[in-house]
Amino acid sequence: MKRPGLHTVGASLCVGYVVLLLATAGAIGLSRDEGIYVDAAQRYAGWLELLAREPGAALTRNNIDAAFQTNHEHPPLMKLLFGLGFLAQRAFHAFASDSQAFRFAGMLSAGLLVWLIYVFGARAFSRSAGLFAACAFALLPRPFYHAHLNAFDVPITLACTAVIYAYYRSLRDPRFAWLTGFTFGLALLTKHNSWFLPGIFAIHFSVCAFLERRQRARTGIRNMSLVPYWLLAMLGLGPLMFVAGWPWLWHDTLARVNSYLGFHTHHEYYNMEYFGVNYFWPPFPSSYAWIMTLFTVPLTTLLLGSAGLVYEAQASWLRPKPDATQTTVLLLGALLAPLVVISIPTTPIFGGTKHWFTAYPFLALFAGRGFQALLAALPVRAGRGRALLSWGAGAWLLLPAAVETAHSHPFGLSHYTVAAGGVPGAAEKGMNRQFWGFTTRSLVPYLRSVLPNGGTLYVCDTIYWAFEMLIRDGLLPPTFRPTGEIAQADYALVHHEKHFAEVDHQIWTTYGSVRPAYVLRYDGVPIISVYKNPRNAGSR
Amino acid sequence: MLRPKGLERSRSSWWWLWASLLSVPLFELSRHAWIVTHVPSDADYRAAASFVRSQFQAGDLITGAPSFIDPIVRLHLGDLITPAMAGRSDDAAYERIWVISIRDAVPADAPRTTPQLEREFGRVRVLRYALGKSPVLFDFTGAWSIASATIVRGGSEQACPMRAGGVPRGGGLGKGVLMPFSRRFECDSDRPWLVMGPVVMEDLDNQPRACIWQHPQGQEPVSLRFPNVPIGDQLVFYGGLYYESERMREGGPVEATIAIDGVARARFTHRDGDGWKRSVVNTQELAGRHTEVSISVRAPEPHQRSFCWSASTRRARVGAP
Repeated sequence: MKRPGLHTVGASLCVGYVVLLLATAGAIGLSRDEGIYVDAAQRYAGWLELLAREPGAALTRNNIDAAFQTNHEHPPLMKLLFGLGFLAQRAFHAFASDSQAFRFAGMLSAGLLVWLIYVFGARAFSRSAGLFAACAFALLPRPFYHAHLNAFDVPITLACTAVIYAYYRSLRDPRFAWLTGFTFGLALLTKHNSWFLPGIFAIHFSVCAFLERRQRARTGIRNMSLVPYWLLAMLGLGPLMFVAGWPWLWHDTLARVNSYLGFHTHHEYYNMEYFGVNYFWPPFPSSYAWIMTLFTVPLTTLLLGSAGLVYEAQASWLRPKPDATQTTVLLLGALLAPLVVISIPTTPIFGGTKHWFTAYPFLALFAGRGFQALLAALPVRAGRGRALLSWGAGAWLLLPAAVETAHSHPFGLSHYTVAAGGVPGAAEKGMNRQFWGFTTRSLVPYLRSVLPNGGTLYVCDTIYWAFEMLIRDGLLPPTFRPTGEIAQADYALVHHEKHFAEVDHQIWTTYGSVRPAYVLRYDGVPIISVYKNPRNAGSR
Repeated sequence: MLRPKGLERSRSSWWWLWASLLSVPLFELSRHAWIVTHVPSDADYRAAASFVRSQFQAGDLITGAPSFIDPIVRLHLGDLITPAMAGRSDDAAYERIWVISIRDAVPADAPRTTPQLEREFGRVRVLRYALGKSPVLFDFTGAWSIASATIVRGGSEQACPMRAGGVPRGGGLGKGVLMPFSRRFECDSDRPWLVMGPVVMEDLDNQPRACIWQHPQGQEPVSLRFPNVPIGDQLVFYGGLYYESERMREGGPVEATIAIDGVARARFTHRDGDGWKRSVVNTQELAGRHTEVSISVRAPEPHQRSFCWSASTRRARVGAP
């Protein structure tokens, strides 16, 4: 069925969101993982240049390994795209800063995701539901932070949502099976979250097939094909694209695939504070993903999504003509699967909320469904008044999310909603305050004021490439140098996370004082303490 | 549009749900506004700190509540907060406690009584509690440098000389206590961790502990001897390991022998998972004497047994409210 204007609205949402991300990205410093991906992207970009210049040389094992050895624990798709941004910046100065060049592909992924959520919602429910869902997703504080980054969490959310959408369409139109396989290949090349998709589809398709058989036996009417074309496409295209698109796998393929699988099935554990306890080893609390969702998704969005889910489930149950594609079951499966996987006590919980971002488009879609049902319940007749009231209701229901998202910037990982008592409430409860060391960017005005001629900084959790980007972007002059030596630094930073307390204590012992020179705060909660080295006090 | 007929029956209950959902943004926005407008300003903290500073006297303890404001309290009053105060094992050395409080919080170590004094500075409250006369007679951690240090090798005891200088190397997660400390007893230059001296170390609960680092070398002891220690009713001993050495619960036990006047009075055994462990040695029969106290540390498997301890001799606390 043709839906005029559908993609015009979707594209507008996409462009608007990308423009918003570009405008706000400068305030967010490069995170730890981004720093690693910048290094990888530059190496991959170098290989792309070689491929264009001397294809024969580029395809030798030595050159492939030299480029793709870096960060080979993650597939290359996004890093190649980050690298293209870097090449565009170098050739045309296409972006306002180097960091923006690396991050553009990530921001574009976020824009495309908003577009896709709109289209998905419009197909599954209605345009108003799709529009509300797209805005509700765009205005989630944590995803808003991640949407700025040259990292994989928002791109894999786009990729997984795209595969689910293609699969959903393929149930009625087998031509979409190819798109399912193709997007699955892209998802495999983006991040390992994609491994769970066949399981979700297998369960959903079994439900559909069971009900379809029963329906056929009763009425003789065929609503959908019982041949899993999507599965054939996923099995055929997915692994093929995965290997073909990742040069690292072109040699020693089996060993390297095994190594990749092994890295993620036996992933290292990191520290994460949760209700005052520093978790670093399994078993991890099964409530983590659920409570963190409650504490970080704006309350109105969460309640509307929950109400929409219940309403839609009830509507599906009572619907006289069953939905052959079992939309509710699919969306519910896509929503719950990531949360359930994180709830397994052996699954690492180090990434805050980002590891179940793939659930959020579906939470947003249910919020859209709730909004649609709410509009239907409005006691106003169709016409201009109703349209105005609908827009007004939508804006009113999205306003808290917009306010909280705006307030979360640029401290997205430190932000907690009113359900946690806000940022100070979460700090009092002992919730993780940040990770990745990106908040050093917010110290730039202070650092420039106390070290006008530059100096040496112990930068704690900020990785070298991330600090270097502050200089590349012109935020700090090259006279600032990062060091791993607390005793040698002019100033030492501590990013406040529970397990980083030891750095505080190292500084106290080394500097002989517990007094910081400055404390960066967000809503009154310490984010970074800065200590001045008394030995170097007179040096500048 | 999906408009199932069956839903009509439950329409009125859904109508109420949707109507009530429209009120959620009002709650969320007003709560958000309340939270962000009730954050104490720097001026509030400055005024509170200025008041505490004007009344501060020797024997006072300063702390913040809730604990997340601790860096802000140290920013404003850090010149009065020594590493020993920040890393205290308990409040026995102090006679009054100042609490810089926001959000009506009170720290766990404040007495459960009415404060002696209470003042408000904007959104910051200052509370002062009386703890009573300090029962501490002798603080081993503060007096570490009067001790003599020895190591036993092959059955013979050798002195560990005092060294000063050197620059601590590195920093960061998993690095633990940075070596060398500025002043320490050095037992083996080839094993830089085989030293004794004061540090602030992170315990199993990620809390700072001002303590004496005394890493075991094996079954043969490393010892610190304190001369002329005033003995009271009890000797309170705390010990633990650096967080990352202990948290996997894979290491062997560490044993500290507390000897008074050459006689072993207590054996303190620390096993992984114990955290910052307290032990009280009853010394009433020796109360009033001044004599030598030694702490000897050993461990069958000394690898990463980053033992650190603090202790004091005390009389029974009197005059507490």
